[in-house]
Amino acid sequence: MQEATFLILTALASGSQHGYGIIADVREISGGDVHLRPGTLYTALERLRADGLIAVDREAVVDSRLRRYYRLTPAGSERLTAEATRLRANAATALMRLSPARGAAT
Amino acid sequence: MSARAARSTASARNAPAETTPPEPHAILERRYRRLLACYPRFFRCDSEDEILAVLMACARPGQRWPGPADCADLLGSAVRMRLGPGRSSPPRAVTRAVRLMRVGAATEIAGLVIALATASSVQSALVRQHVTFLNGHWHNLLLLIELAVPIPFGLWLWLAWANGRGHRWARSAFAGVFGMYTLIVLGKLAAGAASYAPADLLVVGVQWLIGLAVVLLLFSRSAGTFYRHQSMPPAARGG
Repeated sequence: MQEATFLILTALASGSQHGYGIIADVREISGGDVHLRPGTLYTALERLRADGLIAVDREAVVDSRLRRYYRLTPAGSERLTAEATRLRANAATALMRLSPARGAAT
Repeated sequence: MSARAARSTASARNAPAETTPPEPHAILERRYRRLLACYPRFFRCDSEDEILAVLMACARPGQRWPGPADCADLLGSAVRMRLGPGRSSPPRAVTRAVRLMRVGAATEIAGLVIALATASSVQSALVRQHVTFLNGHWHNLLLLIELAVPIPFGLWLWLAWANGRGHRWARSAFAGVFGMYTLIVLGKLAAGAASYAPADLLVVGVQWLIGLAVVLLLFSRSAGTFYRHQSMPPAARGG
């Protein structure tokens, strides 16, 4: 799973959000490192919808403009959980292997 | 409110007055719309107003031109959406069919190589069987074969690409082409091609078997579901 996809799913994990909200949340989650642009975001949202990982929660019109709120589907939650578990295991392994090396270096 | 209705309301809101110059945000919106025209139609119908709202929300006050980074992002995303994999992953039957079609394209090149390698023996066999067959006829025939090869080669690859993206017309087109090819093979057999060009006929037989396998895969149940799914707009697909 690409980092952008992971961050988008993470942004939706706590509740439904619209496009601009996802961009702002992804920036916050990544500590300002990842700035999603609208083209990239909507390409990813289109793919995630087609794959059944997210769905449209509701639509609203704000300032005469359509605003769609997206939410994670059960399949999306499952996929995000699996990916987060995999990343945590990888990170734990990396840190564990670094610890003796650090110890030996000092 | 539908996406199109929201767009018309937004357009009406942003429409410039007759006597005053257009506002910067209206100019910017128009320029963004031109960029969004590069996206596939299904995406524009479904999400153009939404992505436009986000683009306008991200814009600076007084901004009149899309930034270079946004231009690159929109154009790159449009190209990826048009040329990348289909809207959802094809099932195994379609993936296999697409691979077989690529193999079919490769057999066209192999067929040309074999036709050129066995040209002299085929020519002498033809002259033996048909006393009226002249060298001039043969050279014209060989030239026709060489010139015609890019057409079936391109057809295999084009239909492979279109079927991989789930276009229903591509499935029907392949079935139609296969039907015509079957008639051509039967015609060749009736003309006694087995006696004067056995190697060429072997390639033709392999291509026909590949075509048959592709048709069976494309018309399997899982492939049918995929084609139906791909022809629906995203909202109807459960989004």
